[in-house]
Amino acid sequence: MSGAVDKIEVAGFRHFFQSESGPVQATSIIDLRIQAGEFVTLVGPSGCGKTTLLKAIAGFIKPSEGRIFCNGRPVTGPGRDRGVVFQELAILPWRTVRRNIGHGLDIAGTKPAERDRIVARLIDLVGLRGFEDRYPHELSGGMRQRVAVARTWAADPDVILMDEPFAAVDAMTRLTLQEELARLCATTNKTVFFITHGVEEAVFLGDRVLVMTRRPGRIKAEIAVPRRTPGGRDWESFTADPEMQAICEQVLRLVREERGATLVAGDGASVVPAA
Amino acid sequence: MSIATTANAPPQAFPSALSAVLRPLKGLRIVLPFAMVVAIWWAIKWHWALDDRVLASPAQVAIAALQLGNRGILADYAATSLRMMGIAALISALIGVPLGFAIGANRVVARALEGTLRFLQGISGVAWLPLAIIWFGFSDTTKLTVVIYTLVVPIIVNTIVGVRAIPENYVLALQSLGASRLRIMWDVYLPGALPSIVVGLRLGMGYGWRALIAAEMLVRRGGLGDLIFGARTFSQIDRIMVGMVLIGTLYIIVDRLLVQPIETMTLARWGVLRK
Ligand SMILES: Nc1ncnc2c1ncn2[C@@H]1O[C@H](COP(=O)(O)OP(=O)(O)OP(=O)(O)O)[C@@H](O)[C@H]1O
Ligand SMILES: [Mg+2]
Repeated sequence: MSGAVDKIEVAGFRHFFQSESGPVQATSIIDLRIQAGEFVTLVGPSGCGKTTLLKAIAGFIKPSEGRIFCNGRPVTGPGRDRGVVFQELAILPWRTVRRNIGHGLDIAGTKPAERDRIVARLIDLVGLRGFEDRYPHELSGGMRQRVAVARTWAADPDVILMDEPFAAVDAMTRLTLQEELARLCATTNKTVFFITHGVEEAVFLGDRVLVMTRRPGRIKAEIAVPRRTPGGRDWESFTADPEMQAICEQVLRLVREERGATLVAGDGASVVPAA
Repeated sequence: MSIATTANAPPQAFPSALSAVLRPLKGLRIVLPFAMVVAIWWAIKWHWALDDRVLASPAQVAIAALQLGNRGILADYAATSLRMMGIAALISALIGVPLGFAIGANRVVARALEGTLRFLQGISGVAWLPLAIIWFGFSDTTKLTVVIYTLVVPIIVNTIVGVRAIPENYVLALQSLGASRLRIMWDVYLPGALPSIVVGLRLGMGYGWRALIAAEMLVRRGGLGDLIFGARTFSQIDRIMVGMVLIGTLYIIVDRLLVQPIETMTLARWGVLRK
């Protein structure tokens, strides 16, 4: 650390999409810094530009305005220093669990023995032992999402970008996955940028929670989450902790201000501006 | 629940007893319609007392088939056609698949070429025969040109369809794992598009076989089209009909015993996995 450059720096980012009916402004100006080892969560109303911001950091889209840096170097495209876990499923259906998780290592040219060792450790870590040779369609939604997380982790990127990775998972599984993710992050000390709709999820996982306004979104608030027991995060102690609950309420209030505002125009406003 | 069990139970009991009796009948179910066609053919011949110079009877055709078969003539003509088909299929796949990838990889290009491909599909391979004969004479090259043209268009179209159907996230995820373009082609596009490519190949083989017979009738120089068109000169009705039966039979054999198993295999292996 030692006050080095930020892992991620977003400076004056603003993005417009070209559509049939002219440019659509996806975000207002966004400035953001994420330090090494930090777990930053981002909440905001649907269509406010969260995915757009994440895609720009990942290098999938070129910002209309502003600059993005990773480790002080400008981002010009996707790279293996920034792993991504997608909102929709993106593991390959024709590869087994083992081959999906080891994919990044294969691409990096890791020696098979070393790769197998890393993959085996991650399979244990995400609780998929016994399913190594299954195909994704033989797994539950939660298990598939764990494969996706493990694949990104195995490639050992500097920064992990996650876009609502647990949105499509049932509530019970989600709790487990969140705990697993918290544990994984605590043990590997990764830098994570995590998008979610869930206020509790954001506070539970994040060291810092960012709240966005409705589209075109900008970051309107930033709440630090003190973490007293970094290793042992679980939902029981989280829900029992009055300080955490107070933070949740604070974030919820900030989010609901935006939701309330969008209700008037409706969520459809994110696609077609209301007349 | 109770509905499901009651609905499931009886079919369990019936087939076990019935299927043992019905299984030999399954072959019959396929053969029977053929037998009926032969019966109708025979009935027409008898009812109108048609001359042998107009329509040969199934028995006469069978005898002619035995005679031609014994002298190795049938095998010779059939081998010529099958070899042409094999060569054409191979070359078409080698041209069509890469072309389909090149076009399909870019949405704009794929859209732009959609009309052109449809236009070309409209001009059947047979319609190219006059030009091909002027360019290449009455040669194998002319036949190959026509058949390859016929095969390659459905292969290109289906490869494009297969590539376009691959979720963008698969590609983005691999880019974030540091994959090169070639790697993405090999690990995502090829396996992702494979089921569709095989469907295109199978369709193409059907069209191509018909085009080949037509081309052989005009170009001559061997093949089943040559056999039946040559027999016309001496009004050898039985020969013509032997050739026709063989054309249909070979198509079924190639399609059912060769192409369809490949399709079933890839669909089972990849198609289901894609879901
Ligand atoms: N490819 C695109 N072309 C045109 N407009 C787009 C495109 N992608 C996103 N948008 C628009 O940009 C805005 C922001 O989209 P984005 O996907 O970033 O929202 P989000 O905050 O991730 O929403 P959600 O929470 O629903 O995932 C939306 O209004 C959306 O309609
Ligand atoms: Mg999104």
